[in-house]
Amino acid sequence: MAMLDEKIVSQLKELFKGLDKEVNLKFFTQELECAFCKDTHNLLQEVAASSDKIKLEVFDFQKDKEVAEQYKIDKIPALVVMDEKDRGIRFFGIPSGYEFTSLIESIKLVSTGKLQLKESTKDFLNTVKKPVHLQVFVTPTCPYCPPAVVLAHQMAYYSEYIRADMVEASEFNTLSIKYNVQGVPRTVVNETEFLEGAAPEEYLIEKIKAFL
Amino acid sequence: MFEFSLNLSQEIDKNQIFDLIIVGGGPAGLTAGLYAARYKLNVLMIEKSFISGGQLTGIDTIENYPGFAEPVLGSKLAQNMAEQAKSFGLKSINAFVDSLDLQKDIKEVKVGNDIYKAKTILITTGTSSGKLGIKHEDEYVGKGISYCATCDGPMFPDKKVLVIGGGNNAVKEALFIAKYAKEVIIIHSGEKLNAAVSNIDKLKDEQKIKVLLNSSVKAIDFSDLKNKTFEIENSSNNKVETITADGMFIFVGTTPNTSLVEGQLELEKGYIKTDCSLQTNISGVFAAGDVIVKELRQVATAVGDGALVAYKINKYLSNL
Ligand SMILES: Cc1cc2nc3c(=O)[nH]c(=O)nc-3n(C[C@H](O)[C@H](O)[C@H](O)COP(=O)(O)OP(=O)(O)OC[C@H]3O[C@@H](n4cnc5c(N)ncnc54)[C@H](O)[C@@H]3O)c2cc1C
Repeated sequence: MAMLDEKIVSQLKELFKGLDKEVNLKFFTQELECAFCKDTHNLLQEVAASSDKIKLEVFDFQKDKEVAEQYKIDKIPALVVMDEKDRGIRFFGIPSGYEFTSLIESIKLVSTGKLQLKESTKDFLNTVKKPVHLQVFVTPTCPYCPPAVVLAHQMAYYSEYIRADMVEASEFNTLSIKYNVQGVPRTVVNETEFLEGAAPEEYLIEKIKAFL
Repeated sequence: MFEFSLNLSQEIDKNQIFDLIIVGGGPAGLTAGLYAARYKLNVLMIEKSFISGGQLTGIDTIENYPGFAEPVLGSKLAQNMAEQAKSFGLKSINAFVDSLDLQKDIKEVKVGNDIYKAKTILITTGTSSGKLGIKHEDEYVGKGISYCATCDGPMFPDKKVLVIGGGNNAVKEALFIAKYAKEVIIIHSGEKLNAAVSNIDKLKDEQKIKVLLNSSVKAIDFSDLKNKTFEIENSSNNKVETITADGMFIFVGTTPNTSLVEGQLELEKGYIKTDCSLQTNISGVFAAGDVIVKELRQVATAVGDGALVAYKINKYLSNL
């Protein structure tokens, strides 16, 4: 059965007419696919089929260990959204529900390069010269989560030092426990700083500053 | 099993003068937008969230909105409303409206560095969840305190959770949380629940949910996140009991989102006063939905307001 209904597929086709550069979806799964891996795989196939600018490549988390390590993939299902260059944009877990919008936004972003960051944010990001890892914990039913994910992904796109993951909290329960996620969105900055809610750019900048 | 929701902003020419700008894209704003687009008005809706639908987007299911014999997901109803309005040509952007200048004939809507202009304005900014007003409440939002069951309910698998409130929202959301949690205690200050009988009846079938009446949370101590404690006072015997739980969801009352219009529009207890055409004290400025003074704040009444106000705005514009 198709994951996406016809209405969404036709919306996607229309929207993807505006794509510019080719987009590579690098998807990591395994031979005997976990439940969410299989669903994510099907979803990505349908998304990729909506535009000839979107290419889906599938890797095996075990067998293609080197590729997984290269992209810092440590759990599956995992997705890297990139053009010819890795922009640090990752999805761990299925981007369903409201997170589907985050997925489509990230495809638009890497294809068109159009950012919505404030000038002051870009000025700040220019000063970031150390690796920063953002993990945004979400649930698919949380309407406040996509803005937090999209902001983190935009920062990752702009700065080569930043890597930003969407993490579906209920799929990666042990990670949620590790980072004490009891409400979403919760953004974990370099393992030790935390930001609650879909906060403005300045709040996230403050958290990142702790590591510079 | 999976739902997929797609909501993307449109690009808009900022130099035009719109017939109508709608501030807030919940059920009231979307319905007004749908009607206005069908009247062929040049209308723009501005919604701060990524996703249109307002409070609907954070509700599990709706059972009392006509036309859906089976309970409909709030997110689904929101998406349907947004798509339907768009199909008639409603333009919308996702942006936070910072301020409004309503005094002149041409009204101005400030969004970041941009100014949008319109002949009429419709305020449909709705309400936000009410706070309990206890110490440390804000500090622990996201760390055990939540106002959104669909967002954070799944974060409490096999946990013990308190739900504060006794109205329909509290009862409905408690039922949703019970899908995940192992124990849910509804704490309500009144001597009986204020929810619809059909909702209360469902509690009887849900073994995981207990109800504490005449009770309210007086204080919380989350200093040990693994052992959160709550002081519950019982007003019938004035006894205070301390219980432990993993989290607390609050559904007590609502706060109108009217800071934008404070000082410009007449308010009553924070809600916007309107006449029977849903016009405010300023000519050309209308308001509808949960944000206005009214008795029943529901989806059905919000969409009713939305339809009526668009009709009145169309009439107003044709008399200009
Ligand atoms: C937990 C819960 C359960 C509920 N269950 C039911 C139910 O079962 N049945 C029922 O009929 N009703 C239910 N309701 C009530 C129902 O959701 C509301 O009556 C309805 O959503 C009101 O619609 P509205 O358009 O007036 O306002 P809202 O839905 O509040 O929409 C207002 C919109 O304005 C936007 N906004 C605010 N400020 C700005 C700004 N400055 N700039 C841009 N945008 C802005 C907001 O983001 C929001 O999207 C429930 C509510 C809650 C909280």
